[in-house]
Amino acid sequence: MSAVDVTYEAPVILAAESLSKWFGSFGALDSVDLSVTRGSLHAVIGPNGAGKTTLFNVLTGQLRPSSGRVLFNGEPIEKLPVHRRAHLGMARSFQITSAYPELPVRENVRLAAQAVDCKVRRSVLRAAGHYEEPLAVTRDVLQKSGLSGFAETQAGNLSHGLSRRLEIAMALASRPQLLLLDEPLSGMGVDDIAGMEKFLRSLVPEHTVLLVEHNMPVTLAIADRITVLESGKVLTEGSPREVADNAQVREAYLGRGHV
Amino acid sequence: MSSDLLLAQLINGVGTGLIYFLLAVGLTLIFGVRDFVNFAHGAFFVLGALLSWTLLEHGMSFWIALVVAPLVIGLAGFVMEPLLIRRFYNVDPAFQIVGTIGLTLVIQEVATMIWGPANRSTQPPKSLQGLVDLGVVSYPTYRLFIMGVAVVVGIALWWLIERSRFGASLRAGAEDRDMASCLGVNTGMLFAITFAIGVGLAALGGVLAAPTRGLNTGSSSEVLGIAFVIIVVGGMGSFLGAFVGALVIGVAQSLTITFAPAYGSVVIYIAMIVVLLVKSDGLFGKVTRVR
Amino acid sequence: MSANPVRALSRLTGAGGLGRPALLSAVSVILLGLLAPSWSVATLILIYAMAALGCNLLLGYTGLLSVGQSVYFGLGGYLAAITATRWGLQLSSALIVSAVLCAVVAAFIGAFAIRRLGIYFVMITFAFAETAHFLAFVFQDYTGGENGLGGVPAASFGGFGQSFFIAKPGPTFFYMAAVLFVLLFVVLQRFVDSPVGAVLVAIRENESRAEAMGYSIKAYKLLVFMVSGAVTGIAGCLYVFFVGSASVAAIESDMAITIVIITVLGGIRSLYGSFLGAVVYVALDTYLSDLWPYWQMLLGIALIGIVLFFKGGIHGVVLAFFNLVRHLLSRRSSDPADHPNEGASVDVSR
Repeated sequence: MSAVDVTYEAPVILAAESLSKWFGSFGALDSVDLSVTRGSLHAVIGPNGAGKTTLFNVLTGQLRPSSGRVLFNGEPIEKLPVHRRAHLGMARSFQITSAYPELPVRENVRLAAQAVDCKVRRSVLRAAGHYEEPLAVTRDVLQKSGLSGFAETQAGNLSHGLSRRLEIAMALASRPQLLLLDEPLSGMGVDDIAGMEKFLRSLVPEHTVLLVEHNMPVTLAIADRITVLESGKVLTEGSPREVADNAQVREAYLGRGHV
Repeated sequence: MSSDLLLAQLINGVGTGLIYFLLAVGLTLIFGVRDFVNFAHGAFFVLGALLSWTLLEHGMSFWIALVVAPLVIGLAGFVMEPLLIRRFYNVDPAFQIVGTIGLTLVIQEVATMIWGPANRSTQPPKSLQGLVDLGVVSYPTYRLFIMGVAVVVGIALWWLIERSRFGASLRAGAEDRDMASCLGVNTGMLFAITFAIGVGLAALGGVLAAPTRGLNTGSSSEVLGIAFVIIVVGGMGSFLGAFVGALVIGVAQSLTITFAPAYGSVVIYIAMIVVLLVKSDGLFGKVTRVR
Repeated sequence: MSANPVRALSRLTGAGGLGRPALLSAVSVILLGLLAPSWSVATLILIYAMAALGCNLLLGYTGLLSVGQSVYFGLGGYLAAITATRWGLQLSSALIVSAVLCAVVAAFIGAFAIRRLGIYFVMITFAFAETAHFLAFVFQDYTGGENGLGGVPAASFGGFGQSFFIAKPGPTFFYMAAVLFVLLFVVLQRFVDSPVGAVLVAIRENESRAEAMGYSIKAYKLLVFMVSGAVTGIAGCLYVFFVGSASVAAIESDMAITIVIITVLGGIRSLYGSFLGAVVYVALDTYLSDLWPYWQMLLGIALIGIVLFFKGGIHGVVLAFFNLVRHLLSRRSSDPADHPNEGASVDVSR
């Protein structure tokens, strides 16, 4: 059973409706609305403490919202357990690389591919390498991510830039409709960023990408649409040009007096 | 069932609970500060008891032994921490348990070499023997004494953790090791002292318990089981949890022994399973450490 | 797949194939049979090794420490005694009954334990071990309480009311245990090399990653918990046929600790470690305990050493030794191509 079994292709693949999240008396998110169009690259940005991480964790199922809904292809999923989401067609990457450092790159991706293969992931009768399907998906994903040459390298020995790619490759391996990427560029050096920019752009429109990022120039360059958070609320949403020209956004980032 | 008897059993339960508190608080202290699971805790309890037996055999007064034995064991702990225990901190919890099981074996065998495998028990001092008339019921003086000690120790510890500078450093070290170190807290010394206090308390429990029952070098696993049940029930790392958990378990056990004596030893484990069903981290678990 | 015999052979003997574990375990039991000082020592080693295999699946591969394997070791034993004495069941059936019922009990305990992490998981397994010990006395009519159940007839194999093979304690029992061990070892190695086995390791190394990939952590943990219970139950069943009676010692928590010690001693990252751990433990217990009553101190020191320095246990030390020898030998040759990376390549099939 692959993840792309979809019969209903809604134009809005992911929507958040009035999402709020309280930690005690601290409101991390306040009535956040979000709408991600299928096939687009949608970025969420905001200054530190804006609530990006909380929003991301609610969307990926790590946290339950205090109120509001998350809709995937029109279906509410805010209460769906984390491990069910990959099967629906949502896959995430981690901000801090969470690949398996002692396993080769190929095995990391194969594990991710296997997870959504109902037949293989339950199998105890054959060795893991026997099953061709996850391996085929792995080869394909490695090629798309530019990691084919490193298939046998231990994931822990990869350079930082390549390990960030591996993060995304592992998400791709479940053949998702929607990729949720947590600061894919985090910690990347200048040399790697250009390649990553191209890679991220190559993911759409076949997939939809929602990413949280700090790197403004790249985000402005690659995103189709940007949502800006501040203090748990949506400050504005629009095209990169609109957001870049927005005085309130500049103020939020740079503080008053800098506009 | 007369209410007198019930009252007596409740008092018994509280008394048992207070002794259990003494057992458990050292364990939860160590865990609260360093996330260290000390499966050798029971062994220190037994060491305290055996050491007090030796001291009393050599004519030392009970009152002096009560102070000396835990001090000696605490000192041993203070030396042991930087040499050995420290190396366990960064190890997987499962391995910490296995490693401290190994430590228990070593301590047990050394103790058997010194004291032999036979049961040792001591006598409470003359002044504490006999019964006290509480009006409702007559209660053994020595047990009241133990309860008193436990309460005093509890208050002293609470003061130490919440009100003293040492305690502030301790709580800081528990929250954020690196930050505390940057702020000038000598975290190494802090952890050594904490471990020393923890095992010293275990030893104190042993010294106090020795007159009430025989102990031998094999008793440590029984004691360990009780201590762990209590801190799991109370919430690992929680001082208040150790207190409340110990009382809950003590009373539960006492009442069970009254109504269904056969279940006396297993009720603590069943109680633990029940508590964990209701609150998966124990009564005061996950609140903070060392509180 | 292709009928090419060469390919089939390389699949069989390569990583993940059945050839290696079969060969390894077969050679080991043969050596054991030849070198062991008595049949009973050799058989005991195999039984403990099987019990440790169950514990190892949980600890080594899934990262879960169970100090409650005595539940299954004892239960499997009691079931063996009860079915053999009351219903005249043969060993083959007794093994199946033990495995199945222990898996069921493991599912029950697992439902409680699996949801907790770390020390809470360990404590729950311990609590159930103590409870099971207690229950053995509650159900004295079935377990014989303090006295246990005696008079277990010799292990026999057969069907339809006929037994065509009787294994009395001695060489025949050992041969039978050896065959059983090899079968179990090969099956478990396949389990570990399978997709499910890979998931267990993924869960151990990074649970939230595994969950995000789409694996139900609870389901996999419950599965391995049940398999582990069944395997240890089989060991317990065999033990009772070996000794001829079931006693309450098998269900005490001390037994659970012993099983953990054997597992860690031998090495938790490989199934073969469980065999090595059993060999060393039984050897020490049988021979050293006569010479020096405080031999457990050495065991304790070994455990501390393993936890701090030699995490792979005896198996790890042996492997490192072989690697060192290989490294030195290839340095002797003129080929400088030996890379320090050599030891780093990871065989997923382990």
